[in-house]
Amino acid sequence: MKFTKSKHFKAFSEPLIDNNPISMQMLGICSALAVTVQLKTAIVMGLSLTVVLAFSNLTISALRRVIPRNIRMIVELSVIASLVILADEILRAFLYDISKQLSVFVGLIITNCIVMGRAETYALGHPPGLSFMDGLGNGAGYGSVLVFVAFVRELLGSGKFLGYSVVPDAFYQAGYQNMGFMLLAPAAFIIIGLMVWLQKTLSGDRDHG
Amino acid sequence: MSENLKSIVFALSTAVVCSLLLTVAAQGLNPLQRENAAVDQQKNILKSVGLIAADRAYTAEDIKHLYAENIRCIRVDENGNVVTSDAADPPLLPVYLYRKDGAVAAYIIPIDSRGLWGRIHGYLALEADGATIAGFTVYKHSETPGLGGEIEKRWFQDNFKGKKIVDRQGHFAAISIVKQAKLDTLPAAERINAVDGISGATLTGRFLSAGLKDTLSEYEPVSIKFRTNRLLHLPADAERCETTP
Repeated sequence: MKFTKSKHFKAFSEPLIDNNPISMQMLGICSALAVTVQLKTAIVMGLSLTVVLAFSNLTISALRRVIPRNIRMIVELSVIASLVILADEILRAFLYDISKQLSVFVGLIITNCIVMGRAETYALGHPPGLSFMDGLGNGAGYGSVLVFVAFVRELLGSGKFLGYSVVPDAFYQAGYQNMGFMLLAPAAFIIIGLMVWLQKTLSGDRDHG
Repeated sequence: MSENLKSIVFALSTAVVCSLLLTVAAQGLNPLQRENAAVDQQKNILKSVGLIAADRAYTAEDIKHLYAENIRCIRVDENGNVVTSDAADPPLLPVYLYRKDGAVAAYIIPIDSRGLWGRIHGYLALEADGATIAGFTVYKHSETPGLGGEIEKRWFQDNFKGKKIVDRQGHFAAISIVKQAKLDTLPAAERINAVDGISGATLTGRFLSAGLKDTLSEYEPVSIKFRTNRLLHLPADAERCETTP
């Protein structure tokens, strides 16, 4: 069996585009608006969510036969919350400036619907290996949207790429101006909206076509 | 084992495992985090006197080096006298001094104000005339991102530059954060003591104004010394406080 046809690869690749948590399931929009002014924060946020999601899926899937049904949500939440606090602590120890810029949004991964959603709908019904890949895939799908939005916003809003100026001075002298609107949260709404439109058009919108 | 008992045991063991894990992580990473926080405070002290450029990345080493080169720290008692003994009673106030060409160019006082959701920590730098604000920074707060959280942004902090803590007659007037609309109606003489606030963050502004006023009145004896040119040069052994408060 070819690797790209394997179940594990499919669990990873499906949420990347076809079932992307942001552009298809419309989950996790709040943080996507808040942390995408700069590429750097978007990358760190995407990575943090991916790690949290992959390990929460793994843990919950491994425990899925022993978690008592009546308290499963609380158990899921404790696992997720612990992982988020852990991620926050690690960021504060090694990437202090970025963790300050992300401020409350790392902590708010706990309330990100993607994490709880995947635990409930996927990890509880699939083996750990598959759940882990599903977590990685959803995290990467979320992260890639974040990175794309942040790339556009940082480029148009501040004329920078990863903090380095890329718009030549000559442009500014010729009258080019950074688009202040891109630095505000509504800009992310518009970019995400355009992305969803594009994606639905390209994929032929199988659901409602 | 009954269903309920099983649930309780499971919930308890989950809680114990999670808290153990977090305790170990928090304890293990604590020294690194404290070091980062200390460097961040030094960075904010430097930023308040304009020694940190907005468009440059600084490593922890850069910050420590810049700090050691430019900033000194003294302690004063409630009358504004420099205290060189280590006595901690009565409580002494730390003052950071920005030294340029052998003289004090600005003094920086730590701000610890009430905010809407938690304490606001920052620094207020005053020029050696004891009246003009050289800069204001915030390094720790719990205000709402996008609203009160804007106090950590440069555009807001830049509003403080050049404002005065005294009125035209030279009497102490502190500095207050007011709404743009109200700012426009103020007579010019009072505008030098007012800073344009943040829309949607009236309460944060109100608490911060009160906090700044309290701290500035506490430090007023020091400011008076600066206004009358009595603190420009310091005894060589005046340095008495830790680099971080």
